[in-house]
Parts: sequence; C-alpha cells; structure tokens
Amino acid sequence: MTNSGIVKLSIFQFSLIYLLLIVVLAIMKKANVNQTKLLIVASLRMTVQLTLAGFVLTYIFENPSPLFTSIYLIAMTLFAIHRALSKNKWLNKSFKWATALSLAGSGLLILAFFVIVVVRVDFFNPQYTIPLSGMIMGNAMTGVNLGLKSFKDNFSSQRKRVETLLNLGVKPKKILLPFSQNALETALLPTLNNMVGMGIISLPGMMTGQILSGTPPTTAILYQIAIMIAIATVVCLATFSTLNLGIRTLYNDKNQIEFSYEN
Amino acid sequence: MDIIKTKDLVFEDFIRYPDIYIKKGKVVFLVGSSGSGKSTLLKLFNATLSPSSGTIFYEGKNIDEIDTLKLRQEVLLVGQSVYLFDGSIKDNFNRFYSYREMNMPNEEEIKYFLSICQLDFPLETQTSILSGGEAQRLYTAIFLSFLPKVIMLDEPTSALDTQNAKSLLRDIIKLAKTRDMTVIVVSHDKNLSEEFAEDIIDIEGSKTI
Repeated sequence: MTNSGIVKLSIFQFSLIYLLLIVVLAIMKKANVNQTKLLIVASLRMTVQLTLAGFVLTYIFENPSPLFTSIYLIAMTLFAIHRALSKNKWLNKSFKWATALSLAGSGLLILAFFVIVVVRVDFFNPQYTIPLSGMIMGNAMTGVNLGLKSFKDNFSSQRKRVETLLNLGVKPKKILLPFSQNALETALLPTLNNMVGMGIISLPGMMTGQILSGTPPTTAILYQIAIMIAIATVVCLATFSTLNLGIRTLYNDKNQIEFSYEN
Repeated sequence: MDIIKTKDLVFEDFIRYPDIYIKKGKVVFLVGSSGSGKSTLLKLFNATLSPSSGTIFYEGKNIDEIDTLKLRQEVLLVGQSVYLFDGSIKDNFNRFYSYREMNMPNEEEIKYFLSICQLDFPLETQTSILSGGEAQRLYTAIFLSFLPKVIMLDEPTSALDTQNAKSLLRDIIKLAKTRDMTVIVVSHDKNLSEEFAEDIIDIEGSKTI
C-alpha cells in the first residue's frame, strides 16, 4: 500500500462494521435501555441518507455546474434556517427574519472568504464549497440556536428585572443588551472549548477524513485550523447579528417591551 | 391642578375606566376589587402599557406626545415585581443609578432613604439575606431616592404587618410633602386608606364589558 493510497472498502468489508451494532444491541438489552428501535431506525436512516448524499455528490462532482452548487447551497441554508426557527417558536415575525438573514449572510460571507480568499478556488467548485458550507452552516445554526435559547431562558426568568428597569425609565435596548451579551457568550463557549482540546483528546473529524483519504497530515491540520477559525467566526457573527437585530424587534417606539410571546 | 387626568380610558376592550383626576401633591388611593384594573391603570400612567382607546394627560399634555422614558422617570411606578441585583444594598443603588446614567447618592442620602422605608441595615448587607418584606422596602427606597414628581406604589405594604405598613407610608408621605411629590397608592388595606388618603378614587365604577 502506498502512502497516498486509500483502501477502497468493498461492500463486504464495509458491511462488517455493522457487526458492531450487535454489541450495542446486546448491551442495551442487558442494561434495559429501551432504545433498540431508535438504534435500528437511526442506523437505517443514516445509511439511506448518506447513500443518497453520496450519489448526489458524485453526480454534482462529475457534472460540476454553478447551478448545482448554488442549489445545494441554497437548500442547505434554508434547511439551517428552518431548523433554527423551528427550535425557537417564540420568535416574533421580525425576529425570525433577523435570524434567517443573519444565518444566511454570516454563513455565506465566511464561506466565500474561505473558498475564494484562502483556498483560492472557484466559489462554485463543488469539491470545496459543498463540504465547507455544510460545516460552516451547521455550526452557525447550532450557535444561533444556543444563543437564542439562552437569551429566551434568561429573559423569561428575569422578567421582574426587565419590568423594574422599564419602570425606572431605562431604554429597552440597554435593558436587553446584557441578555444578548450573555447569550453570545453561551453560544461561543462550546466552539472555544472545542478548540482548546483539539489535537490532544481527539483528532477532529474533517482532519481524520482527509488523513484517511491520503492527504498528508501537515496539509490536513492546516485545513482543520482554518475551518475551526472559520467556525468560531461564523458562530460569533451569526449569533451576534441575530441577537442584535432581534432584540430591536422586542420593543416599540413607545419603549414598551413585548412579553406576550412568552409561553 | 390635576397632574394626571384621563378621558374615556379603555384597556383591551374589557376594562373601561371612569374619568380620573389626580391632584398635584396629593396622596391618592386607588381602590376597587381585584381584577378591576388598578395595577393596569398604573402601567397605563407610565406608558408601559397602551390603552386601546382614550387619553391620559400628564401635566396637561397628552402622554402620547411625551417621551416615554422621561415620563417614566417623572411618574415612577414601584411595581409588585420586586427585583434586586445580587450584591450589597450599596451595590444595588450603584447598579440602578448606572442604568439611569446618574451619579449614585452618597451614603448619608442612601441611609436617609432606607430609614424612610423603615430599614436599618449597614449598606454592605447582602440583599440575598433580606426577607421578602425587607426586599420590598429596599426596592421602594431605591425608587424613592430618584425623587420623581409622582410616585405610584402598587401594594407597597403587601408583605408588612399593619404597624410597619403605617410607619412606612407615614414616612413616605412626609417626604412627599416636602417635595410637592404626588403619591398614588394601590392598596387593599382599608386601614391605610382611611388614615392617609387625601383622595380616594374608586375605579369600581369602571365597567367590565
């Protein structure tokens, strides 16, 4: 086997990995964890979904076209927005727009910087843009979700504080700002902590993948560092933008704060 | 002169208020059964809520034309949602004054406002050890220290026994009189209104539609 070669998995070899699931099943049965159905559904879904993704990506890579890349990007962005919004049903209409625009804007901006400025390939080159956009959008979505959830939890549990400061004649923006600052911190921490442990506790997924497929580790780490910085930036940018645009939708020109969505 | 008056005030189509006149510098009690809209009326006065129809005048001016932040600073509502920051009594004055972008009063002044509210604690006392009634009085003291033109007290004595409640109100009113401050009180306690009210407004006349 050469250094740059990769062992191509035959279907038979590949199917051997499913044997490991028997271990999980056995432990679940022994430990009375009643999630065997979920395990089977999850494994099946994963297999089917990834197989489909594999076919779609193969087709797109073999027939590279800005159109396909764009459709993929748009679909991924919409999916990320949909996930973020469906997990935060309390958002008012304008706050939803703020979230959608922040996610799409920050994600595409960071993606463009990565692909065009750093890697320096055509933005519509599917081999770079598609996997990178997945990582960037996915992390941006998780960050925004976390930020919004933290904001809402704090804001709802501290309603007395908000009412008190409103009664004192404090500007709503000034009242809400500490909540959004706090939420931004909460959203950023997992990514930062992840960066701290990186390379010691585990080799991150993207780097592992590149190394397995024959990329020299020195190149793989450069990509890994680059993507981590891109992820930290997109989480920060998307969450900051969502919250800062969003809190403006929570009060009106009479400086009244809308509480009614709370449920 | 009426410092606050209302005309045809309706809130969310189910509370219709009689026209209300509140005289400057007086101690006015708002009475009415629970659910009659007393607390809501105070929130309408400081424009944290808006009426569905009707008009409120403050110093003769329609409050729609007044900057709501300035209105709230002058017509100060001490609501039932008591909130104190973690930290000491002094920290709390500090935090609230910095929110208002004002210099905080000196220790003598703080002690004076605490004493009006029947509190005799060192300023370093942590708010976490205060009882419900003490927290409520500290909260009132902080609001009072801003010396608004109108102070609206929503059930200020709900966590106090009658004796303490009377001392608290007596001292607040004493301060108000030296400052020509108007005091509006919502209280269920008949003892208090009988003793202190210069004017009693029954909003029960308001119809629930």
